[in-house]
Amino acid sequence: MDTESSTFETTEMLADFLASTPLLSESWRLCNLANQNSPVGFVANQVGSVGYVAFSGTLFVSGSDPSFKNLVCLPVRDGAGNYLFVPLHDKNEGEEPVLVQGALLRIFENMYSNPSFQNQISTLVKTSKSVIFTGHSIGGTTASLAALWLLSYIQSNSANLSVLCITFGSPLLGNETLSRAILRERWGGKFCHVVSKYDLMPRILFAPLDPIGPLIKLLLKFWHLYMTSPHCGPLDVQRNEEFMAEIFQFVLIHLRGLVEAGEEAVTGMFRPFGNYLFCSGDGAICVDNAAAVIKMMYLLLETGSPSCSIEDHLKYGDYVGRISSQFLEKKSFMLGELPESSYEAGVALALQSLGISSQEPVAGPAEDCLQAARRMGRTPNLNCANLAIKLSKINPYRAEIEWYKALCDRSDDQMGYYDSFKQRGASKRDSKVNLNRHKLARFWDDVINLFESNQLPHDFHRHGKWVYSSQFYKLLVEPLDIAEYYRTGMHCSKGHYINHGRERRYQIFDRWWKGRNVRDEDNRRSKFASLTQDTCFWAKVEEARGLLDDVRSVRDQRHSALLWEKIDCFASYAKTLVEAKEVSIDVVAKNSSYSLWLKDYNEMKLQMLRFRPQFSSFMNGEIVP
Amino acid sequence: MGTVKLGENMEIKVEVIKKACSMAMKAHKYPEKQYLFDKIKSSSPEVVFSFAGSLSVHDWFAGGSFGDMEVDRRLFPSLKYVGLDEIGRVNEAFFKRFKAVLANPKFELEVKKAVDDRRKVVFTGHSSGGAIAILATVWFLEVNSRLPNFIEPLCLTFGSPLVGDRIINIALRREKWSRCFVNFVMRLDIVPRISLSPLSSIGHQLQRVLDYFNQNPQQPPADAPDFYETVVKNASSVANYAACKIMGSTNPLLETASSFIELSPYRPLGTYVFCTGTGKLVEISNADAVLQVLFYSSQLSTEEEKVPVAQTSLRDHLNYENYLKECLRTPIVTSLFHLHQEAPPVTSTANVDMDLNDLGLSERASLCLRAAEALERQKLRNQNTIDGKQIDIEKCLGNLEKYKSSCAHKAGYYDAFKSSDQKEDFHANVNRLELAGIWDEIIEMLKRHELPDEFEGQKKWIRLGTRYRRIVEPLDIANYYRHLKNEDTGHYMGKGRPRRYKCTQKWREHAEKLRDEFPGSCFWAEVEELWIRSGSQGTRESILQLKTKVEKWIGEEEVGDDVLLENSTFMKLQRQHGLAS
Repeated sequence: MDTESSTFETTEMLADFLASTPLLSESWRLCNLANQNSPVGFVANQVGSVGYVAFSGTLFVSGSDPSFKNLVCLPVRDGAGNYLFVPLHDKNEGEEPVLVQGALLRIFENMYSNPSFQNQISTLVKTSKSVIFTGHSIGGTTASLAALWLLSYIQSNSANLSVLCITFGSPLLGNETLSRAILRERWGGKFCHVVSKYDLMPRILFAPLDPIGPLIKLLLKFWHLYMTSPHCGPLDVQRNEEFMAEIFQFVLIHLRGLVEAGEEAVTGMFRPFGNYLFCSGDGAICVDNAAAVIKMMYLLLETGSPSCSIEDHLKYGDYVGRISSQFLEKKSFMLGELPESSYEAGVALALQSLGISSQEPVAGPAEDCLQAARRMGRTPNLNCANLAIKLSKINPYRAEIEWYKALCDRSDDQMGYYDSFKQRGASKRDSKVNLNRHKLARFWDDVINLFESNQLPHDFHRHGKWVYSSQFYKLLVEPLDIAEYYRTGMHCSKGHYINHGRERRYQIFDRWWKGRNVRDEDNRRSKFASLTQDTCFWAKVEEARGLLDDVRSVRDQRHSALLWEKIDCFASYAKTLVEAKEVSIDVVAKNSSYSLWLKDYNEMKLQMLRFRPQFSSFMNGEIVP
Repeated sequence: MGTVKLGENMEIKVEVIKKACSMAMKAHKYPEKQYLFDKIKSSSPEVVFSFAGSLSVHDWFAGGSFGDMEVDRRLFPSLKYVGLDEIGRVNEAFFKRFKAVLANPKFELEVKKAVDDRRKVVFTGHSSGGAIAILATVWFLEVNSRLPNFIEPLCLTFGSPLVGDRIINIALRREKWSRCFVNFVMRLDIVPRISLSPLSSIGHQLQRVLDYFNQNPQQPPADAPDFYETVVKNASSVANYAACKIMGSTNPLLETASSFIELSPYRPLGTYVFCTGTGKLVEISNADAVLQVLFYSSQLSTEEEKVPVAQTSLRDHLNYENYLKECLRTPIVTSLFHLHQEAPPVTSTANVDMDLNDLGLSERASLCLRAAEALERQKLRNQNTIDGKQIDIEKCLGNLEKYKSSCAHKAGYYDAFKSSDQKEDFHANVNRLELAGIWDEIIEMLKRHELPDEFEGQKKWIRLGTRYRRIVEPLDIANYYRHLKNEDTGHYMGKGRPRRYKCTQKWREHAEKLRDEFPGSCFWAEVEELWIRSGSQGTRESILQLKTKVEKWIGEEEVGDDVLLENSTFMKLQRQHGLAS
C-alpha cells in the first residue's frame, strides 16, 4: 500500500483539538488558583465527571540545591513500605536506573505524605471517572509525579480510571530511562506539557546550572513572586538586563550543543517525555518525539530574546486563552503559495501556528524537525495489519511443532516432547523443529521490538488475537527453550533457567496474559491440558533434579534439611498441578524427566525415612536443634 | 423545468425540490396534522410527504448529553454494522416523533397507496421536520426496498439537524440507500451544527433560539453571538478529532483527551448540498468531508463579523424557500469530489478553489477535505488488496474440500481432524491457519473501518464467507475440543467461537433476511457438548432435536452429509443413547 499519497501532518490538528476542549483552560484556571492562594500547595476540584488536582508552582523545598543538578533514584517504596512506581522500575539490563530531579521529587514526597492530600485524592478517585493532574512551573513536575504514581497504582489494582497530566511551563523531570519507561508502559499519551514559544523554565535543565547558580536563584525568586501576586505589575527585571542575558545565553548555548551532538541521549542528562504542546501567539502544535521536542525547544528559543524568555514563563494565561478561542476565526495562510503536497502543506501551516515565517532562518530546520518527528514509514495500524499477515505465515511453523509434540506423545519411547527434544539426535525432523523454534522466536522478538518502539497501536497488547497467539506460542515453545537450555548445559555457566535464562519475551507475554480483561474461572479439567499451563514447569523439574543431586552429596544436616524443604515444596506443587490436570500428557509420560524425577524422589525419600527416622520429625519442625 | 444533477447518476427535477421546500415550510403551519401529503401536479409521478418540525427543546434532545439511543431493531433492522453487530444510534426525540407519525394509520395507508400506484415517494421536512423525513425514508426503504419493481424514494431535507451516528451512515451506504438522501444546508445555518453540541453546553440558550424560529421577530436574541460561539466550538472539537483520525494520527494523547470530554456521536448522512450564499450550490457526499465543512464554513474572517454572522446563522435557517427559488433558476451544482474518475487531486484545481472560497473554507479546511478524499481512496485500495486474496482463499478452501471428501471413507473429516494422526490432517491444519490469518485480517480492517462502507453488502464476499464458514468452522471446533479448550474457556459457542465465523454468519443472515439462529456450521460444537453431558437429563431429547435440524441443514448445505457416516461422533452419540437406526 502506498503511504506517501495519504500522509498528513497532524501535529497542528491535534493541538487544535486539545485547544477546542475545555481541558486546557480549566486546568489553567485551577493552576492559577493553586499558585495564588493555596496554603497546602494544591487544589482539588471536580468539574462534571472529571476530577482536577492542581499543584502550586510556588513551593520551595528548604535546603534544596538551587542548581537542580541532583538526579536521584525514583523511590521504590514510600515511608509506610508500600511499593511505588512499580512498572517504571522494570528496566532493561545495563540501563541507568530511573532518575528524577531530587528537589522536585522531594516536593512530591512531601505532598504525598500529607494525609489531607491522600484523603482528597482518594475521594476524587472514587467520585470521578477520570482525573487530571495539572500544575504550572514547578507544580508541573509535581503533577507529573502524581500522575505517574496514580498510573502505577491503577495498573496494580486494575482500576478503571482515566488519567491525564497537563503541565504549563514545567521544568524537565527525569532521565532517558524514565522517558523510555513511560513509552514502554504506553503512558506517553497521558502527558501533555504546554510550553510557550520562548519560556526558559522547560529548557533550563538542559544546561548544567552550577556556574550560574546564584542567578538561577534570583530568577526563581522573581518568578515565584510574580506567580503568587501577578497583579504587582512588571517588577524590577528590566533593570537586570545583564543577568537575564547571561542566563539566556547560557541555556541557549547548551541547548545548541545538545542538538548538534545529535539524537543520542546522554546518561545523566534530562530527557523530555510525553507530548509537548508548543504554543505561540498564532497557534500551537503537539509533538511527542523526544528528540524533536529538544530540537524544537532550541529552535524556538533561538528566535527569542532574554526578556521574553523570562516573561513567557508567566504568560500561560494569555496563551491558553488565545489558543482556546482560535477556533472561531479562520486562519488564512498569508505566506505565499501552499505546497502542492498535502504533507508539506501541513508542515507549512504548522510553522505558521508556531509564528515562524518561511523567511526566518529557523524555518528550514523547524520543517526538518517536524518531518523527523513524524513516525517514519508505516503507521501503527498498518504495521499491525502487516504483523497479522506475518503471523498467519508463521503459524504453519507453530503447527509443525504441535504436530511434533503429538508424535512424541504417541511415540513408543514415552518420553514426551520435552525430553525427546532435549535428547534429540541429528534427525531431519528434530532439526526442523529447532529451526521452527528459532523462526518463531525471531518473529515474536520483532513484535516486541515494534511494540516497545511505539510502532504498533497503543492497545496492541490488549488485542485478543495477540494476547492469545503469544500465550499459545509460549505454552507450546517455552518448554523447548528450556530443553535447549539444559541440553547445552547453560545452567552450569549461567545458572538456572527461570532466573538467568528466561527470554524477556516470555515475561512480557506473562504480563499480557495477566492483563487481559477476563476473570479466570475455576474450571475443572476432565483430561490433561493439551499444553502444560505453567510454562516454566520443566525448568522447575530441572532445578528439583539438581536439588536431589545436591542432597546426595551434602553432609551437613541443616543444609540437607533446607534442600529437602525446597524439594518437597516442588513435589507437592507438581502433585497439585498433575492432579488438577493442569499439565499436558507429556509430563506424566512414563519416561519423562518428571516421571523419572518422581521415581527418584520417592525412592530417596523412602530411604531417608528408613535410615533417619528422626529426620522427618525434624522436618516438621518439632525438634528445634 | 430543468433538473439538478447530483453526482454521477442522480438527477432531481427542480420542480420537485421547489415543491418539497414549500411543503416542508407549510407543514410547520399545521402542527396538528403531523404531515402533509400532496402531488406535484396531478399528472406527475411524484407524491410528497412533508413533516412538521417542533420547536420545543424536548423534541430535540431527549435527555443525556446528546439524547441518542440505540435504533429500534425491529423497525430498522438494517441500521447496523453487520459483521461486528454494532447497532446504530439515532436521536431519541426525533425517533419518538417519527413513531407518533407511524402510529397514525392514515400515514401508512397513504404511503402504501402511493407505492401501489407506482409513484415516486418524496419525504421532506424543514428543520427538525427534516429529521423525521430521514427516519420515514429509512423506514420506507426497510419495508419496500426488496419488493419487485421497487421505485426508489427521495428524501429532501432543508436545514435538518443531524439524526444518526456514523454506523447509520455506513449502513445506508452499504444498502445503497445513501443516494436517496439529499440535505440542503444554507452555508451558515446553525441548525445542522447544533447536533454537535452537548445539551449541557447550550441548554439554556437553545430554547430562546427555537423561540426565535417560532415567532420570527425582527431581531435575533441578544445572546445569539454566544450561542454561535458555543456551537462552533463544539463543532470544532468534533471536526478536529475526526480530522486527526482521517489524517491517520496515532498519537495516544488523542484518545486520552477525548475520553475526558463529551464528543457528539452524530454524523452527516447522505448527500449534502450547501447553498453558498453566492448563488451557487456545492454538493458533497463524503460524510467525513461534510463534517469538516460544517465546522470550517462557520469560521469567521474577522472578529467584527461575529455578531452579524451569528444573526445570519439564525435567519438563514428560515430562508430556504426564498433562497432556493433564486438559486434554482439556473441551477449549477458543483461537486467537491470526483472519486471514481482519474482526476488530479481535486482540491488543487481553480474551480474547486472557487467553491471552497464560496463556502468560506480556509487552507486548513481544504487540507481536511483532501484527507477525507485520500481516506476514501485508501479504503478502495484496501478493498483491492483484499479482493486479491480471494484466490488464496479459494485455493485453501479447495484443498480443504478435497480433504473433506478424502475423509469420507473414514468417519468424516471432523473426526479425522480431531484425532489428527495423519500427515493430511497436519496439512489441513496448515490450510485452516492460513485461512484464519486472511479472515482475521479482514475482520480487523472492518473493526478499524478501513474498508469501503459498501464492503459488507458485496455478494461475492458474503458467498465466500459462507463457504468458508461451512467448510472450516467444523475444523476449528475439532481443534477446540481436541485441545480441550472448553475446559479453559467454556464451551465453544460461549467464548470460543472466533469472530471470523460470527461475522460471516451475520453477513449471510442480514443479506438473506434470516433470523439469528444457531448456525449449522456449529453443529459439531453442539454434538461435543451433548457428548460431555451424555447420560444427563434431557440429552436424549436434545439429540433428537439436533437430528431433525441436521436434516434441514444438510438440505441447505449448511452441513455435509458426512456427519451421518457410520463411525462419526454424531452417530456414536446416537447409538450411545439408543437412537441410531
